[in-house]
Amino acid sequence: MEEAKKNGLRLYKSAALVAAILASNITQAEMFNTGKVLATGGVSMIDGAGGGGITPWATITGYATRDGINGNLHYTYAPLANYTLHSVGAAVGFWDRFELSYTKSSLTTGSTFDTVGLIADTAGGPSGQLAGTPINTGIEPFNTTIDMDIVGAKVRVFGEAIYDSDNLIPQIAIGGFYKKNENEDLLKTLKAAKAKDWEAYISATKIFFPINTLINITARYTAANQTGLVGFGGPGGDDKEIRPEISLAYLLRKDTVIGIEWAKHGDNLEGESVEIGGLNLTELQPTLDSLGMSNLSGTLTQHESDWFDAFIAYFPNKNLSMTFAYAMLGDITITPDQHGFYLSLQASF
Amino acid sequence: MKPIFRTIAIAILAGTAALPSYAQTAETNTFPGLDDDAVQQWGGEEGVRNWVESLFYYIMLDNRINHVFREFGNIERQIYLNTQLTQLVLGGAVEYQGASMAAAHADLGITVTQFNAVVEAAYLACERVTVTYEACNQLIAALAPYERVIVTR
Repeated sequence: MEEAKKNGLRLYKSAALVAAILASNITQAEMFNTGKVLATGGVSMIDGAGGGGITPWATITGYATRDGINGNLHYTYAPLANYTLHSVGAAVGFWDRFELSYTKSSLTTGSTFDTVGLIADTAGGPSGQLAGTPINTGIEPFNTTIDMDIVGAKVRVFGEAIYDSDNLIPQIAIGGFYKKNENEDLLKTLKAAKAKDWEAYISATKIFFPINTLINITARYTAANQTGLVGFGGPGGDDKEIRPEISLAYLLRKDTVIGIEWAKHGDNLEGESVEIGGLNLTELQPTLDSLGMSNLSGTLTQHESDWFDAFIAYFPNKNLSMTFAYAMLGDITITPDQHGFYLSLQASF
Repeated sequence: MKPIFRTIAIAILAGTAALPSYAQTAETNTFPGLDDDAVQQWGGEEGVRNWVESLFYYIMLDNRINHVFREFGNIERQIYLNTQLTQLVLGGAVEYQGASMAAAHADLGITVTQFNAVVEAAYLACERVTVTYEACNQLIAALAPYERVIVTR
């Protein structure tokens, strides 16, 4: 009798233990989720949001369905002719409803601004027009770097990009970025109005399975120059404007997607020269002439082009994606033809 | 208890006028439309049947969903009905003798994660029976809207 009681108690105890373990497992399982179908979480765009390469999509990053949470780390490397972009960050998707992201972008500029730096040194030298004035152009003797912190958030508003194949209503999300550019001195030299600013966007995404195609259209409300890497606004002010972006992707296999993207860029600094020590380079013309550098002001005119890219994204499994692209970014500040390869890795957990 | 609950669930769903198209299962009207020869791309009835058998093989290997199908019982009949359903939603001229998708799943408490697990099994089955990815996506498009009635959690 006593023995039976003991056994019974032990049984209760172990049952309670099993229940506790089960409960904790269920709680964990409910939090962490990788229930999306392979590739449908998209990749990480350069600002860190879920999307394509340069455009945020209406999809929520990561593999979590509405049943849970899933996050990823991303790294993007884009060696262009005169610049190299490194972008590292993390993003988390919550219940396929909203996402948060943080990304640190670092743009090394190589020898791009060496000429500007040389002029600044010359102009600020003992015989220059700005003699005796310390000039901080933000240009280092070697490898001037532009760092930018990007915090992003996105909320899915309505629509189904994937399941509602029987209607044309896209998935709609709204989101925003807060970007803080660290090289304020260089931005001043390049005449940007602001070093930190926010931008907002609305994205519409739809997958058309009968033709294996994804279409995303985004409208971004921003004053960014080169996504903010060259600051925000210009001599004409820092007013934001709406700029369209489009991604077209073809689903080649369940683990491979190819596509093209286009992002409209602004003209805040279009045709602007560079500014050194509060002086426009054109005003420095006499000094430059006397130094035999009369042709420099023409080559130091800034331009900005729309961005294009063609990509192939490969998803070997839900823990990893690799995006290879050819990015055609055109004119960036004073240098034309900034085209080059682009590699982006995303590790999901 | 269970049949009663199911009856109530069907009654509630039937009363939900927002889902009239699912009372009568038929070819899915997708945007853009499915290929006219979608069933042929799948190798006709025989090809579809092969795929459904392969689908159940992969479903039974997936612990997220196998218990749901096992508890439903009579796998042979499920394969038989799914062969009809697959042809039907792809535009095949067959009679479907099963329950509507809403009725069949009403009290199963299916999550979107489980729905996606079946989608993953569907792709694996397509690869196994060499239905092309493009043809497979015809079916994914045709079945995707059923997510709204199959997923109840």
